[in-house]
Parts: sequence; structure tokens; C-alpha cells
Amino acid sequence: MKLIFEKSIKGREGYSLPHDLFNDIKVEECLPEYAISKDKKVLSEVSEVDVVRHFTKLSKLNYGIDDGLYPLGSCTMKYNPKINEKLASLSNFIYAHPLAPEETVQGCLEIAYDLNKLLCEITGMDEYTMAPAAGAHGELTGILIMRKYFVDRGDIRHKMLIPDSAHGTNPASSAMGGFQVVEVKSNEKGTVDLKKLAELMDEDTVGLMLTNPNTVGLYDEGIEEIERIVHGKGGLLYYDGANLNASLGIIRPGDAGFDVVHLNLHKTFSTPHGGGGPGAGVIGVKKNLIPYLPTPIVAFDSDKKKYYLSDTGEKSIGMVRAFWSNFSVLVKTYVWILSMGPDGLYNTSETSIINANYVLAKLKNYYKPAYDRYCGHECTVTGREYKKYGVKTLDIAKRIMDYGMHPPTIYFPHFEPYAEETIMIEPPESESKEILDNFIDIMINISDEAKTNPELLTTAPHNTPIRRTNDALAIKRAILTYDDELKLKDELKYQEKDIDF
Amino acid sequence: MRYIPTTEEQKKEMLKIIGVSSFEALIESVPKNLRLKDKLNIPKAMSESELEDKIFHIAKKNVDFYSMKPLLGAGAYRHFIPEAVKFLLQREEFWTCYTPYQPELSQGTLQSIFEYQSYISRLTKMEVVIPSIYDGASATAEAALMSLRLTHKNKIIISNLLHPHYKETVKTYLAPHEPEIIDLPYKNGLVDIEKLKTLLDEDVASVIIQNPNFFGGIENMAEISEIVHSKSALLINVIVESMSLGTLKAPGEMEVDIVAGNAQSFGMDLNYGGPYNAYLGTRKQYTRQIPGRIVGETVDVGGKRVFVMTLRAREQDIRRERATSNICTNHNLNVIAANIFLSLMGTEGLYQISLLNTKSAHYLENLLLQTGKFEKAFDCPFYNEFLLKSKEDISTINKKLLENNFIPPLKIGEFYKEENLKNVLLFAVTEVLSRDNLNKVAKILSE
Amino acid sequence: MTNKVIENLYYAKSDEWLKVEDGIGIMGITDYAQDQLGDIVYLEKIEKGKKLKQGETLTTIESVKAVSDVKTPVTGEVTETNVKVIEDASIINKDPYGEGWIAKIKIENNDELKNLMSAQEYSEYRKE
Repeated sequence: MKLIFEKSIKGREGYSLPHDLFNDIKVEECLPEYAISKDKKVLSEVSEVDVVRHFTKLSKLNYGIDDGLYPLGSCTMKYNPKINEKLASLSNFIYAHPLAPEETVQGCLEIAYDLNKLLCEITGMDEYTMAPAAGAHGELTGILIMRKYFVDRGDIRHKMLIPDSAHGTNPASSAMGGFQVVEVKSNEKGTVDLKKLAELMDEDTVGLMLTNPNTVGLYDEGIEEIERIVHGKGGLLYYDGANLNASLGIIRPGDAGFDVVHLNLHKTFSTPHGGGGPGAGVIGVKKNLIPYLPTPIVAFDSDKKKYYLSDTGEKSIGMVRAFWSNFSVLVKTYVWILSMGPDGLYNTSETSIINANYVLAKLKNYYKPAYDRYCGHECTVTGREYKKYGVKTLDIAKRIMDYGMHPPTIYFPHFEPYAEETIMIEPPESESKEILDNFIDIMINISDEAKTNPELLTTAPHNTPIRRTNDALAIKRAILTYDDELKLKDELKYQEKDIDF
Repeated sequence: MRYIPTTEEQKKEMLKIIGVSSFEALIESVPKNLRLKDKLNIPKAMSESELEDKIFHIAKKNVDFYSMKPLLGAGAYRHFIPEAVKFLLQREEFWTCYTPYQPELSQGTLQSIFEYQSYISRLTKMEVVIPSIYDGASATAEAALMSLRLTHKNKIIISNLLHPHYKETVKTYLAPHEPEIIDLPYKNGLVDIEKLKTLLDEDVASVIIQNPNFFGGIENMAEISEIVHSKSALLINVIVESMSLGTLKAPGEMEVDIVAGNAQSFGMDLNYGGPYNAYLGTRKQYTRQIPGRIVGETVDVGGKRVFVMTLRAREQDIRRERATSNICTNHNLNVIAANIFLSLMGTEGLYQISLLNTKSAHYLENLLLQTGKFEKAFDCPFYNEFLLKSKEDISTINKKLLENNFIPPLKIGEFYKEENLKNVLLFAVTEVLSRDNLNKVAKILSE
Repeated sequence: MTNKVIENLYYAKSDEWLKVEDGIGIMGITDYAQDQLGDIVYLEKIEKGKKLKQGETLTTIESVKAVSDVKTPVTGEVTETNVKVIEDASIINKDPYGEGWIAKIKIENNDELKNLMSAQEYSEYRKE
């Protein structure tokens, strides 16, 4: 589609200015010569009408959760309730300045404080910091807390244990936290190999990062032994809460012995994904780790009956962002939890687990499951048997789009020998049986097409606004801004139909 | 429950097809002795109307921020956001969609990001732009880590006039790498250039300078740049008030190596501190070391010009522990917000509003000095924030302002403990304050 | 999946090939490896004179969707690197055994060649 720059016409305005532009004051009186820009920065010149049409058209090239299923494993793309949006955008919240005097923001502080209590109860932890802005950010925060805990005790450890099934952020966060990543292989049941874990866990290891259910959707029944092994050598247990949707009201990470927990509010807790954020990756800890939390946390003075921001003290790891939190995301989470109540939360997990197992049961004769057992809230199947028709899992995913649906997660997790050519499907509780049946039918259709008409798949998608992209060329040519494109104008030689669709 | 379509009847059907008699069989691998025996001890489900009442009631415990005029900045600035920004942003295709891993279903998101990268590149005159790190503080930290990777050195000089939260965040991120962090003191409200010359040596990876700085002062980045480069260190320019880019010289023109910029002023509400968004800008030759997602242009099999996430081998899902950063989900929706905002502002609009900000700030400073109750803390040029030392107790002043519907300025002593900064206030002015508002402030404070 | 092999070359389990000519080993990655990687876009520069033991990481190769370590099939010193593939890494996809060679290594210990596989053995090893 045409870029905004290609719609720009000199003299067009999309803005309005107040009458009083303080013309009595000269710019030279304000800004020093060494700092004034000689020329205006050239952006674009379009009218408000142009902008509205441009972005409306752009939006129609997208697919959102209100369009249909997003069966993406470990993403928990669930319905985003509209009341959450309304209440998060109340004017007393959205115009609240983060450094405004505490007596002016008692409402904001109350919500953060209450949410802390709710999350502690739901997960069995003792205190949450709302600072981290995303799951990976939470992981880094949690890892820095673990690091400080050991440094504080004079017990310097260098390694972090991470299962081979872990999300890429786990090893990346550990490396950012200064730790050497040691991989723990999964056993033939798809869960952590306890023997290998016991061999690897030592007193130079900070601990284990675990997602439970893991990324192939399986609860690790060895969890009690895992806890014994890790704590037995003085280590800490980190819970990656990406898959919490399978545990609400059933089991709490705090009860299973986890010391640090991160939650993805934009996954389990229904806040919108926004094309890649913002969400929040709040971190919960057990009592003994509270002193290390990033500063500040919200506290309540029961004498003055006032909420206030409390400095966590000199053992704190410091700060991981400016100000306090992704506050609007907290409001949406708060409203969702109160909308669900204890029954709703249990229903959430129960339904998502039934959904995933239902899909698994119906697909397993067409796509071999990675592991032959009941799954949690997501299931992993493989596209391996279609390779002999020349069809890769990627082709299957692209063909799903032709049926008007977003494909599941592909090629993740990836670890030999079972989790290869993987298709990870998570149908959250907000998806109805009819949608699931529709998805199943599509997958079965495609398995047929793979055998009878593989070229249809290898050249898919056909019905989407654009077709398969040349990603290698994107890297080679590296056009990262419109000005980069302008420099290559002669080489590119785009035709009208190539850019105006 | 209205968000869960499946009925109890349907669940029974589905369990039958799965081949189990009850749900219990599906969670067998969850250790029974660890399971919750009772329901979670949280309030019972509230209806939509009850919830609305409750949250409205809580919101009332805040002041009516909409009608309060802010004299407070310090990293978060209230600007006017045209209605079209929110209207367009709330389209579900932008609001609820997933990360654009499948470009065929995500051209709306991907093209918007590309346009935004292009805007920021033009505003900062940096060749390569990463559109989204969570916020200015974490972006500055990522820039610091990037400088360590690029130079293989382990010393960083940080201006004392970097936003205190940003500085704290950089230290937190750097802690595992144990670099030597050197404080760069200020003089007369700006970075002490002479001191910088003595602190620099061949072991310094980078120098981090905020411009305009936390006191509002405008640094001479061209001069600083020459000094920093003379010792082969990298210059990291932090921008906390991006509106300044409308009138100030672009960092790229002054040979800055990495820019870390808080984009909140481009279409994001204050929201009690977040979510905002931050961009990173750098030189093309450093592309392989940049953290985070970036969008590039290519073609599809039909020859159409399309946009895709590119240079992904740097990222955590592919490179895992050797990734340039762990960042995955960022603040994408705010990238779209900023893109829409800048599209509406355009070349002229951004320039005019940026100019208005600095003019009205200078107007207020003049007025306040004329009251005789204030004097300048430092004599240096500023953009839209300035420090004034008060002859009266600043708690009293702030109380008066609050009572008159102004969000009071920052007591700088909350962050800086120097004796000469006691009783000093950091005022911020944006275009949301009219001349009448500013006259009123002066009137209140002259009484 | 492709798995072409060339006779008279040695092969490593980590998917590198080695051609021995007068005490110098020329190496690259196999047809199977380039196929698994997909479109190769980047090869990290190797320093001439770098000394490595058999099995250590020589360099990193990047494709659109993956990153892989390239290991040295023998112990020795790097005497030459192929500038052409640094400029255009896609040559490795097109001609992995010919134009797509990666480095030349002065072989320190001929006995180590025993640890490598023959074309036939490697072909079996990577059979679908």
C-alpha cells in the first residue's frame, strides 16, 4: 500500500494551532545558536482526512482477535474485554502524571496495591513488582533479583539451568543477567529429565527457569522432585508464567515451591496484544526475596489511611524502567480478574485445557502429536509426515491463511527428537466449540491438499492481501526507512500496481 | 461467563470425544498434594455495571487530572493529542492483533512501523532506527550494553544530568557486566566539559548525555561529540522530550553514535507513568548489534512492495543466549500511536508546536523572575524546562498551585541533594498551557 | 531435503566437509547443512592466523530464520578465508562444495582425519 510519504502534498495540514503562538517572543531569545536546527525536519504533509483513510485502509490489511481465532501456542491470544478498555481510559487515570504528589493519585495507588494482593493470592507468592513492561523484561528483573540474592550472601554462582524446550527469552535473559546458560534435556515424555537435572544442578548454579506446563503444553509431573533437586543445592526456582492459563484455580506456582514468578498480563490476563505490546511482565517473589525487588513498591499506611510509594531499600536491584509501571495495563488486568472471580478463573483454565485436548484428539490422526499424552492448555503436533509430499510445516501454516484464519505457532519449540516441524496450538477459553471445529476442518482439508495438490500449499497463501515475502532480499538490501528506498529508486523500479493496492 | 462461550453441555460432549469421563483425567499429571483445595480467596465475579461503579469510585480518589494544568515534566509531558489518533488506534485490527510474524496478515502493522522508523530517522538524522524498546530508561540501558559490545571496552561515563530513573536503570542493567561507571558532574546547569576531557581515556566505551538534560538545559552536543570521539568512545544521546526534535538540531548532524529517545510526547497519554515507548537510532555500520525488532522493505512473489520484520537472527528466538537483547514483546501499539500523531502533525505542525513549547516556557520563566520571588538556579539555555530557586518555601508554593488546579513543578531536591538545589523547582511548560494559564501562575506566586 | 555428497571428501558430524590438498584442508558446509539453514545471508568474518582445535567454533553462519556455528573439522591454523562468501553468503547455498568454500586450514595432525566420515558414511548419517 502507498506510504504516507507518497500521499504527501505540500501545504496540506493535519493539525491545528492555537491563535496565540507567542509571536512576541523570538526563537533566538530562547534557543542558542549551537542548538537550533537550520531547516525544518521534513516529515509529511497530509490532511486529517488523508490520515484517517490511510490508517483505516492499513488496518484492513491486518487480522485481529475480533476477527477470529489466533491459535498461537504460548501466546494465549484471548478475547480482550471492552469494559477493560473503558475503565483504563478514565480521564483521572490517563492524565495522571507519574510524579504528581501522592495525595493526588490515591486511586492509581489503590489499584496497584489491590492488584498486588490479588496476584499474590492467585499465584501463591508474597509480593509483586509491577515495574516490568513485558515477559522478557520480567525475566531479566527476576534473574537480577536472583543474582543479587546470591551476591548478598557472598555466594557467587555462574550458571542458570534452562530446559531445551524453553522460550528463547529465557536463555537471552539469563545471558543479560550475566549467567552461563546450561541446557537441560527433556525426556521421552516431553518433560524435564530428572536424572540429567540432578547431574547438572550444583552449587555454582543459580537455579532453574521452568515454564509449567512447558512449551509443548505438558504439565511436568516431576515438579516436586525438581523443587527438591534445585533447592537441595541452595538454588532458586524461577517460574515463567507464559502458560499460566492452564493453572488458574488448579495449582499455584508459589505452592509448588517457585521463588520467583513472572506473569504475562497481555497473555493470561486478557490485556490486548497491540501488534506486539504494550503488555506487562510483573514479577512475584517469596518473602525472602522482597528486599531485592526493584524500587519502589506500593504500600499502605494504615494510620494515615493513605497509599504511598515505598522504597524497597538498599538491597534493591535498582530500577528496570522509569516511573512505576505500565499502569493502564494494570487497570485492565484488575478489571478482568474482578470480572472473572474465583469461578471464572477456574473455568478459564478448565475450558482452555478441554479445548486443547479436544483439538488434539481430533487432529491426531492427521498430524502426529509430538507426545502421546493429554496436554495442558496447548497441544503440539507435527507436520512431519507431509514432508514426503514436498510440503513443509511452513507451507501448511501459509495455507491456513487462505481459509481466513491465523496459523498456529510453527517451528517452536524445537528440540530433537520429538519436537520437530512442530505446530503448537493454543485455543484459549474464549474460543467456542464451533470455531474449534472450523479450525479442525481446515486442518483436515489441508492434510488432504498436501497429498493431492502439494503445490497449492507450497505457493500459499493466495487469498491474503499480499503473498509470500522474500525475506532474504529484505536482509540483503536492508531498506529500513523511506529514505533508504529513495536512494535505490532507480534499482527498484516499482510499478503503480506494486505499491498501490 | 460472557467471555467463555463453551457451555457445560458442550464440555461434556468434548470430554467424550477426547475419551475421558471427567476433566480430572486431563490434569492427572498435576501433583494432587499441590493442588488448590479451595477456591481462590478473591472477590466473587462482579457484573459489568458493578465494576464500572467500583472503578469510577476509585478513580475519584485521584484529582481531576484532565482539568489540572501541569507545570511538571521531568520525563513525562502532557501534550495535546488529536482525537484522530485514539480513534484510529482503537480499530481492533491495530489494538488486538498479534506480533506481525506472519507478514501476509500484518501489513497494516508492518507498514506503520516502517513509516515510523522513517519519521524518526528524519527527526534524528540517524540512519537506522529501532522503533520500540519499552521506555527511555530501558532504551538507554540497551544503548549502554550495545556500546560495550561494539567497543569491547568496559568503562562508561554517565552525565549526572541524565534523568535519575534512567541512570538507575542503566546501573541495574549493567550490574552483571561489572563495568566501571564514572559520574560526569555538571557545571552551571550543563555537563562539565572540562571535567569530561579529564575523565575520558582509551578505555571508555561510551559517554551518555541527555539533551535537553534533566534540568532542562541544552547541551552543546557538537562540542561534546568531538571530545568523545577524540578518544574513540561512542556518544549516546538520550532524548527525554522528543518534542524538542521539532526545533533542535538533529543528533545525527552532531555525529552522535546512538540515540535513545523517549517517544511519549508523540501521541501517548501520561497514564501514571506508562506504557510509553522509546526508539533507538544508530549508524548503519552498527546494525548487527542493535537490540529489538526492526521492519524492512522487500517484495512478495507477486512483485508487490511489502514490509517484513527483518534482521531477525539477532533476536532471542533465533540467537537465544547470544541475542543482542532478550526483548520480545515491546510497546508496538504506541509505535502506531506515534506514527499517526506524526502523520497528523507533519513537517509544519511538529515545528510549530515544538516552537510554541519553548516560547511559552521562556515566557513563564520571565514572568516568574519578574515577580522578584525567584531567581535562576543556573544561567544556561533551556528548551521547555527550567530551574528556579525560590525565596519562599517551595512546599507552600506547590500547595498554592495545587489548590489553584495546577500540577506543581518538581522539587529538584527530591533527586539532587546538593545544598544549592534546596528550595529549587523544575518547571515544565507545554502547549497545553495558554498565556492566561501562565499569567495566572505568575499571579498566584507573586502574592 | 537435499543431501548431496562428493566423493573423496571428509565429513564431520556437525555437517562440515574437508578436502585435503598438500597438508592444507579446505572446508565448507555440506549440501544438507545449507538446505537446513535456508537462505544464507551472512557469514561472520574469520581472522587469518586463528588457531583452533578439531571441533571448535570457526565462525557463525546466519540464514533468514536460523543461526549456526561452523566447526573446524581439523586442528590447525587458518591460512586463508573466502572473501567471496563474506561479500555474498548466498554462494554457499548455490555451490556449497565449490565456490562456497569457507576457509583453508593448515592441518596439524593427519591422524585426526580418522575421526571424520567418508562420503558414504555421511550420506547414511544424514539420510531422511
